[in-house]
Amino acid sequence: MHWRRHATGWAFTAPALAILAAFLLYPIGYSLWLSLHEWDGYTAHWGAFVGIENYRALAEDEVFWRATVNSIVFVIVRTPLEVGLGFLLALLLNRRLPARSLLRTLFFVPVVMSLIVVTLIFQRVYEPNTGLLNTFLHGIGLGAWAHPWLGDPATALPAVIAVSVWKNVGFSLVILLAGLQGLPQDVLEAARVDGANAWQLTRRVITPLMRPILALTALLSIIGGLKVFDLVFIMTRGGPTYSTEVLATMLYREAFELNHMGAASAIGVILVVVVLSIARVQAFVLRESGETEPA
Amino acid sequence: MSTVAAASVARPRGLAGRRARAGHGAAWAMLLGALGLSLAPGLYMVSLSLMDNPQLFAGRVVPWPLHPENYPRAWVASNIGRLYWNSIYISTVSMVVTVAISALAGYGLGRIRFAGRGVVYGIVLAGLTIPLQIALIPLFMNLRMLGLINTPLALIGPYTAFGLAFGTYVMTGFFKGLPRELEDAARLDGAGELQIFARVMLPLTRPALATVGIFVFLQNWNEFLFALTFITEGRMRTLPTGIYALLSSEFYGNYPILAASLVLFSVPVLALYFLFQQQFIEGLTAGALKQ
Repeated sequence: MHWRRHATGWAFTAPALAILAAFLLYPIGYSLWLSLHEWDGYTAHWGAFVGIENYRALAEDEVFWRATVNSIVFVIVRTPLEVGLGFLLALLLNRRLPARSLLRTLFFVPVVMSLIVVTLIFQRVYEPNTGLLNTFLHGIGLGAWAHPWLGDPATALPAVIAVSVWKNVGFSLVILLAGLQGLPQDVLEAARVDGANAWQLTRRVITPLMRPILALTALLSIIGGLKVFDLVFIMTRGGPTYSTEVLATMLYREAFELNHMGAASAIGVILVVVVLSIARVQAFVLRESGETEPA
Repeated sequence: MSTVAAASVARPRGLAGRRARAGHGAAWAMLLGALGLSLAPGLYMVSLSLMDNPQLFAGRVVPWPLHPENYPRAWVASNIGRLYWNSIYISTVSMVVTVAISALAGYGLGRIRFAGRGVVYGIVLAGLTIPLQIALIPLFMNLRMLGLINTPLALIGPYTAFGLAFGTYVMTGFFKGLPRELEDAARLDGAGELQIFARVMLPLTRPALATVGIFVFLQNWNEFLFALTFITEGRMRTLPTGIYALLSSEFYGNYPILAASLVLFSVPVLALYFLFQQQFIEGLTAGALKQ
């Protein structure tokens, strides 16, 4: 009767597998294929086979390196802020507070807001003449700091990263708070009995215990950061002068504005390779702290 | 014994008590400051939506006098009724299909020990991490070939797939946690696998189904990149790209109207979130921490 059990298992998972194959596995293969060909996208079929020419051209393309560096900067700046601030707020919320559940709910609101809404609001916040930020700076006597935040290549990327952090802190907060609430209470109690103050307790006991969850939150943030598209695309379209161009916006521009389907597919393949490599690290980190297979 | 000791430590007096209270004050100040920062942009949007252009250009923060007529104007200008319908239709259909298929797959992966299960689960986990942008060009080319660009199907297919990895992952975890006894009892009564799934197990997973449903619906509702690429005709757009298109329309200069349409767009999402937030947050954290 073993075959019957196997067949049942496959029958239950077949619809999901078929859809994942059609919309995920097949596109990866297709992109890999396209990345080795030349194609402007106008003809019904791809053009000549060019080998690794698309990748070689990217390696010589200044914009590609700009986008790569920006993607890395985006992640390196965003992730510590997101996880650090999320952890700080989670620690502050992890006490018997009135309205704690309400606070958690409100902190999570930016996470559920649509990126187009968030982006258009912040465009208005950053607007040089009458935007909220510069108006506020003038109001508190710091008018000298007022700045065309998104118009200056030097401040555009930090300004976009700030929005990303603003939107995602609530996500880290909620996961880390759940982690804090799941910590073994007897260990914390023992440390308190031993006379540890709040700072020592946090530094020496809570933070080490939270390390796996902090690592998980950081990796989710890294992967999310590498995929970022909407935010940059709507806010700056990668500008001014490519100062906010990231890999995903470059992919879109190469494909649908410059009609370089081959080069765009190559960027997609590179993006997948990078993210899956990082996910491998994630799997490794998680194996240290528990199981990942369905048992 | 330890509880007695803890009680006396937990209630510090004198200098330590004062310091603890100062710490409390600082903690509250930080929390409320952060909360203000979290909520200010949203409130700013609502406030902008009630201004007129002169107030906006004067750099006002509080709208006065109020201009509620921005809302009906935004409704008409962006043809938002049509956009609502497209978004609701596409998000709901994809969500229902995703939930149904995730439930089946979750049952298979979580309760049946079949050969190759590890590979299937590996594909699901990969689906959680792979950047979806990789599918943009291949799907666009195929949809164009099939003549499906500018049809609801162009988005329903991909959206169903994009929620599937998360849905299957959550459902697998949930099914795995259900007790064996129910299943065994039903099996002794002669129930088939499909009956056990549909009559015995599925009703128990209602919280997980709701989590997946809400999460996937929000994801579909907010999706931008694929909607931007696969739908180019104004009438067929969903809300995010429809509102984005307003930027290049005659209303470009009229930010209050734009802000009003942003509020109209956000209301259903926020209502859904506040109604189900407990379930939503707990489902999400359970999913993340179970790994």
